[in-house]
Amino acid sequence: MIASLVRGVRQTWDAHSRKPFLQLVRLFGGRIFHGSNEGGGGELDLSLGLILSLLALPGGFYSILLFEKYATLLQWMRGQPDFDPLTAALPDEYFFIVLSMVVTGVVAVWRWDSIFPDRRDYANLVPLPILTRHIFLANLTAILFLTLVLALDVNAASAVLFPLVVSASENAFGFFLQFVWVHALVVILASVFSFFAVFVTVGALMVTLPYTAFRRVSLYLRGILLACLMTVLSTSFTVPAMVNQLPGTWVKFLPPVWFLGLCQLIRARASPSLAHLGWVAILGLGGVILAAIAAYALSYRRCFLRIPETTDVTPPSNRTRASWMARVLDRTILTSPYQRAGYRFVMKTLLRSEHHSLVLGGFFGFGVVIASQFLFAAVHGRHNELATTPSPEILAIPLILSYCIILGARFTFDIPTELRANWIFRLSLDKGRHECVPLARRVMLSLVLPWVVAVVLPVYGYLWGWRVALLQTVVVTTLSMLLTEVLLVRFRKIPFTCSYPPFRDSAVVTVLSYILGFFVFVVFTANLEYWSLFNPILMVAFVVIGLAVWYVLSQIHRGMEEIEKELIFEENATTGFELLDLQGGT
Amino acid sequence: MLEARELTKSYASLPAVKDVTFSLSPGQVLGCLGPNGSGKSTTVKMLTGLLEPTRGQVLFNGEYIQKNLVGYRKCLGYVPEEPNLYPYLTGREYLEMAGTLRGMPRPLLEHKIDRLLDLFTLHSHRNATIASYSKGMRQRILLIAALIDDPKVLIFDEPLSGLDVTSALVLKNLIKSLGQQGKAVFYCSHVLEVVEQVCSHLLILRKGDVIAHDTTEAIHNKIEHSSLERTFMHLVEEVDTEKVTREIISTMETR
Repeated sequence: MIASLVRGVRQTWDAHSRKPFLQLVRLFGGRIFHGSNEGGGGELDLSLGLILSLLALPGGFYSILLFEKYATLLQWMRGQPDFDPLTAALPDEYFFIVLSMVVTGVVAVWRWDSIFPDRRDYANLVPLPILTRHIFLANLTAILFLTLVLALDVNAASAVLFPLVVSASENAFGFFLQFVWVHALVVILASVFSFFAVFVTVGALMVTLPYTAFRRVSLYLRGILLACLMTVLSTSFTVPAMVNQLPGTWVKFLPPVWFLGLCQLIRARASPSLAHLGWVAILGLGGVILAAIAAYALSYRRCFLRIPETTDVTPPSNRTRASWMARVLDRTILTSPYQRAGYRFVMKTLLRSEHHSLVLGGFFGFGVVIASQFLFAAVHGRHNELATTPSPEILAIPLILSYCIILGARFTFDIPTELRANWIFRLSLDKGRHECVPLARRVMLSLVLPWVVAVVLPVYGYLWGWRVALLQTVVVTTLSMLLTEVLLVRFRKIPFTCSYPPFRDSAVVTVLSYILGFFVFVVFTANLEYWSLFNPILMVAFVVIGLAVWYVLSQIHRGMEEIEKELIFEENATTGFELLDLQGGT
Repeated sequence: MLEARELTKSYASLPAVKDVTFSLSPGQVLGCLGPNGSGKSTTVKMLTGLLEPTRGQVLFNGEYIQKNLVGYRKCLGYVPEEPNLYPYLTGREYLEMAGTLRGMPRPLLEHKIDRLLDLFTLHSHRNATIASYSKGMRQRILLIAALIDDPKVLIFDEPLSGLDVTSALVLKNLIKSLGQQGKAVFYCSHVLEVVEQVCSHLLILRKGDVIAHDTTEAIHNKIEHSSLERTFMHLVEEVDTEKVTREIISTMETR
């Protein structure tokens, strides 16, 4: 009986899912998640399940980290008998709201180009006997559905784990349930707000700008939005303390604070100012959804229906190329034809390929956020000390930016672009005698050294004298070069031309090594440099470290087989465990 | 100049190309014909060194090409079947990259790029990104990239794909002239009329085997058919085209 029931449900579902409208919804849903590029296999195209798992990770991970704060035994050991979990949870609640908004916003920025039906959809769907309003409604349905899925997924782990952790000190199950639904509702609404806010921005631009202008500003605007989202993330550390000063503080303009107000309003623990902001959150959410639907309708009418009247050809630019700069580079730094061609290819990919520029921009934005935190910590009430000597936090700022840029560049090198177009390199280069490392080294350093010399040297010189400026420049330059060499160990591919393993088992180790590397590269170095200002003999430590790293790298290089140095265009996923196969594969 | 000796390529023990043997001398334009799946593209990839044969060898000037692959490729111009290019580069930038990778001096490269872009009517689009190019424009960029360094051997895999009538006519004349200039040209195509017009020799493949290899005239004479199309159909004997046409119409009309 159950089998026949299941069969019946399946048949009904099959019958419904074959309807043209649902087919369209499925088509648009798939396109929004997987994009619509024509790239060949092996490019960065993560599966839906993996994307959803990755998006749910940060919230769940952070919830577990909070266990220490709310554990009753630890509270007792700390001497906190009157611990109020709801008051203590306020900063964390704010963090989760910010996190859900940032993660959803980043996904919306990432999928920016796929949200609206494009030229290809027009070419494929309009000739079919489908009403255009069905295309319109199907895409809208797909957007709404995916927004809901995204909002639920991003907050799924934290919606359960965080209340579980907070209610550890309370014995009542009712407290847990009450906390769960309020927290889940608020973070999901915050996610929806964030997604539609990005959506409104895209739609408004499509409505107001000509198509070619929209294409031109699109990348820059996405970069700005990412920077804004990163800035919102950085408010997690400072804003909760300022909530008590409402309404006389600028934080009332931050959407995450509105949703914090909504949370407190539902829990009936809001001050009048926070309660007011709670209502602002509801109005804001309604407004942004309505604006998104209006922008979608207008842009659909203006852009999609007029596709045959417009051309996709970007008008040629008449600007003169900076050929003198290219000539200088050719004569000084790029010493072989391969380096000249490769350098231009890599730089243009980094600047023009949306995936790559967004990833590199993300690393840079992350660096800016951390650097701003260090700057904030440095200047907070320590103006007099800084007048004579820069603090370790101040010395760390260029190191942070350099670390993030170099790491970001190295990370993007592994993300392929237009794999099927790499035949030009396959055809031109010698597998055994390639210059991948010199090329990658030049690119990474050229992203760092110009601003170190042009900005760090004069700024530090002006503020703390030339001795400090020179030391800082030499330290940042030397360490950037060392970091570059470390990251290029066993590197043997032309950036962006090698297939990408679908998932790396070593991803967790890589992230941990990035974090450890940050402490060594930034925190340790900045402190050592700071003490060197008082005791110059400590500079010897830099020489020793440099020589040690150089020795280790040369030993690794010497130990490599010739075949391990050959140029590759395909990379297989590494396996977590490998069998010894002692029986010779029998 | 270029010689294929018993070229064989198998994928998972299934042979895609079996014992393909031919030679290509300077001034010769060798047309390679065959239906889909006959092994044309696999043969081309082995000739360019992009694919290593399971068995057999490709020799250039009597030397195994894998011995000095870079040296061989310096003498080779190749137009692949699909116009796979980097869409965010402009046409000019792509050609600069291709020329620089071939080691061409910059002034000569810039002069040739400008001239060839002009001749292939792409000059006004030189600073637009390839993403905005039509298929024919991309194909012309590939042609320029193949010709720019004046290679001794040219391998064209479906070079007329997407080209407009004028460009196609120019290319047909160009291929003939390249042969007369002493270049060795290997030309793969489905367009039989063009092959008939431009190729001095023919290589016909079916299911990975060479079923005919001779001068165009000799193959005609051997089969005694009036056109290459009929000759080809006679040799390949794959399908009864009239029967298939009738079946398509019949299926269309099914209610």
